Amino acid sequence: MTVVDQMAPGARRIRGRGRAADVVSRWAFMAPAALLLLAVLAYPIFYTIQISFAELDLGTFTATEWVGWDNYLTVIEDERFWNSLEVTGIYLVLALPLQMVLGFGIAFLINAEWKGRGLIRALFIIPMVVAPVVAGGVWRMMLDPLWGLVNYWMGLVGLGPFDWLGDPKLAMITIVIIDTWRWTPFVTLIATAALLSLPRDVFEAAEIDGANWWTTFWSITLPLLVPIIAATFVVRWLGAVKMFDIALAATNGGPGRATSVINLFIYEEAFRSLKFAESAAMAVIVLVITMVLTAVFLRGTRKLEGMY
Amino acid sequence: MGAVDIRGVRKSYGDHKVMHGVSIAIPDGEFVALVGPSGCGKSTLLRMIAGLEEITEGDILIGDRVINDVAPKDRDIAMVFQNYALYPHMSVRKNMAFALKLRRLPPAEIEKRVRSVAEILSLEPLLDRKPRALSGGQRQRVAMGRAIVRDPQVFLFDEPLSNLDAKLRVQMRSELKELHQRLGTTTVYVTHDQIEAMTLANRVVVMNAGRVEQVGAPLELYDRPDNLFVAAFIGSPPMNFLQGAVTEDRSGLTLPDGLVLAVPGGVYASAGTPVTIGIRPEHFTIASAGWPVAVSVIEPTGSETQISTRLAGRTLRVLIRGRTAVEPGETIHITAEPDNIHVFDTQTGLRIDRR
Repeated sequence: MTVVDQMAPGARRIRGRGRAADVVSRWAFMAPAALLLLAVLAYPIFYTIQISFAELDLGTFTATEWVGWDNYLTVIEDERFWNSLEVTGIYLVLALPLQMVLGFGIAFLINAEWKGRGLIRALFIIPMVVAPVVAGGVWRMMLDPLWGLVNYWMGLVGLGPFDWLGDPKLAMITIVIIDTWRWTPFVTLIATAALLSLPRDVFEAAEIDGANWWTTFWSITLPLLVPIIAATFVVRWLGAVKMFDIALAATNGGPGRATSVINLFIYEEAFRSLKFAESAAMAVIVLVITMVLTAVFLRGTRKLEGMY
Repeated sequence: MGAVDIRGVRKSYGDHKVMHGVSIAIPDGEFVALVGPSGCGKSTLLRMIAGLEEITEGDILIGDRVINDVAPKDRDIAMVFQNYALYPHMSVRKNMAFALKLRRLPPAEIEKRVRSVAEILSLEPLLDRKPRALSGGQRQRVAMGRAIVRDPQVFLFDEPLSNLDAKLRVQMRSELKELHQRLGTTTVYVTHDQIEAMTLANRVVVMNAGRVEQVGAPLELYDRPDNLFVAAFIGSPPMNFLQGAVTEDRSGLTLPDGLVLAVPGGVYASAGTPVTIGIRPEHFTIASAGWPVAVSVIEPTGSETQISTRLAGRTLRVLIRGRTAVEPGETIHITAEPDNIHVFDTQTGLRIDRR
């Protein structure tokens, strides 16, 4: 008892000192990364939010006067802003499901054993390594209404000619096609890895249990893939919300405003019209919408993971 | 009829031959263990019975039907996998009902069967859980339940206990044996653990490098191993071996370093033949006369004591019942009954019988 009483305070003091040193060294080790993040991530966000509530001095690029919600009101009253949100929504609703279904479908097909699948797999990577602006340009050439390859082929089977980039409805479909061409391989890549990682013996057990191709796919493969499908969707969603380059290179938002996705619109407003404050307000609105929807998707993903 | 007849089965992957003509006849209701070191072909053989591997040559019959080209689902077999292979997204109930559902059994019948099997395996409280919420032993039991519920002609087990901890393994082992006694279904059981094979099976098939080394009742393999491989594989701790040449008077062995050892009962092979004699550790006794050996290590386990000894640079293991006062460094004399001394031809590895 007495021994414990004598020992305890000393022991505590040493431990206390050790803990303080521990905390200091922890922060010391984290400091470089934390500072870097603050500089490249937190500061730009803070700066954007700041100028979205202010008038911007184009000479010094600093916020001069606090204007409250003025910039936001201007944006909300701007019909072009709502149009861009709608365009982005249409693009997302068309492109994301298409890329998911195609990506996983192709992965499923090239996962089966057949000759030459290695080559096909390699070919599928090409769209991913082409610079988006180059892809947009190449597609614009192929889709040219007068001397483009696609209309030539279509003509061979008696279709067309189509004004791929000039017709407002077709232009959106064209953007979706190019984006799908570019991003489906990414989904395929993840899906292939997922398929390869599925436990083999589970499928053998299903085979012995009497499952045919369709039952195996529907009752085993698909449920096992659900968490990965959900996660891929979230990753792809985060990429697609930012889509900008393909629209810029292929249609530059046109014809009219038919393919002016929100990021393109913000970019134009900021760097062409020099309305930085309004653009910042739009960026903040888009950031909030994206964060809310991402949270919803992540929640759904977690729920799906719990179910399967 | 759940007899399994394996006739001259060969397997090769391209030019690489892995099985060189295996024939085993398994009568209806028998529990057969396929045992051997990794890569001996035991799992491949099991997978060929299941239909998960092609048979390159030979026939496999279940009942009196050749099943070489029959789809796995139509072979009327059930398999328990090493990693359980449960459907991770299905509850225990659905896991067990899956095969029955695919056979379009009426739901009432499915529920009845699942219930009765769950009762046998004490799985009732777990029926609505997912596999990931189960312990290793429970998963193992579900995997067995999934096999039993189908009421197949043949059970195939692929190292089903190797992922369990030692204590659980022993418990599941006796549960398995009890289950087989109760159901009486033909069972082919693959394991690399000879103790598992010996304790569970009516008959043990020892395999090595794609060949059957010996087929027999567990104690037959222990008492009369056909060759050096089986002698070394069956028994724990393993058999002691001494290589040498038979002496002129055939009373003993000349070891390679010239040392002459008298062998109790003599060596029944012609003089000068290179032979290997094998004696199990538990068949040595400490005596006043016999081979003089130096004690190096003593390992007591309570019920028995293992003594490692050195004889002219070779290690001989001795296992005695109870305890001993012998100390490391001492020299003791050990001997064995003539009946417990196995003689093998060193060149062919085959057993030489007493004539």
